[in-house]
Amino acid sequence: MHEPVAEREDADDSPAGLAPSEFAELYTRNSRAIYYLALRFLGDPQKAEDATHDVFLKAFRKMAQFRGESSWRTWLYRIAINHCRNLQQRWHERHLFSNADDSVWETAADRTDSPLRVLETKELGERIQKALDGLSDEYRLLLLLVADEELSYEQVGALTEQSADAVRGKLHRARKAFGVLFQKTA
Amino acid sequence: MKHRSKLSSEQQQEHSAEQQTQAQSVREFGTAEELLRYDAAHTPVPPGIAHKLQQSVGGQPRPRAAWWKRLWGGKA
Repeated sequence: MHEPVAEREDADDSPAGLAPSEFAELYTRNSRAIYYLALRFLGDPQKAEDATHDVFLKAFRKMAQFRGESSWRTWLYRIAINHCRNLQQRWHERHLFSNADDSVWETAADRTDSPLRVLETKELGERIQKALDGLSDEYRLLLLLVADEELSYEQVGALTEQSADAVRGKLHRARKAFGVLFQKTA
Repeated sequence: MKHRSKLSSEQQQEHSAEQQTQAQSVREFGTAEELLRYDAAHTPVPPGIAHKLQQSVGGQPRPRAAWWKRLWGGKA
């Protein structure tokens, strides 16, 4: 992402330095990433829609607190992650599946290391959602963040409060777990 | 019998066409992230969010400047 607009001296004369048109640009640039994270993390389109709205509204209210120490994308992700986690705690919808032991994936057949082959059908989203739902919140979030090419492992680590090396290590297991679950949805 | 074999032939053709279509649209992803990236790129953001957000933001007081901006005129 480009230089954060709020940090530019010519941003505008509004108190927070972010003009409405620039907030709209912020939304345009980041809404897909935030909506997708909310959709696949929460697993419900309506909840994801509401969450995306709430995340950007929170961002608007708090934009004066943005100091440019991270990118806007990372800052928005942080708000989104906190928001989605709060919603998750209230809903308690996936507890049956969220505590899968790593050993389950470690003993899985090696075929999960092979490429994921899919047909381009409208069910693809449903298969992905089912596989993600079977993962722990941590693995699900990790995969969703790493899938965003704008984020480095360091940034993913900062968002999930761990080192980049820890991200790499867990990512390997998360990929394997996802592979096993995704094959099962076929 | 003949009728059955004709049906069977048609079914085979349909099946073959179906297989061909499927074969053409099979995609391969090396990692889960690649698959998610593809999914994200093909997942549209509901247009209702922008409209609702516009209304919500319109009803909000303008955000206050951060303390360091109030002190140093937004040059921090």
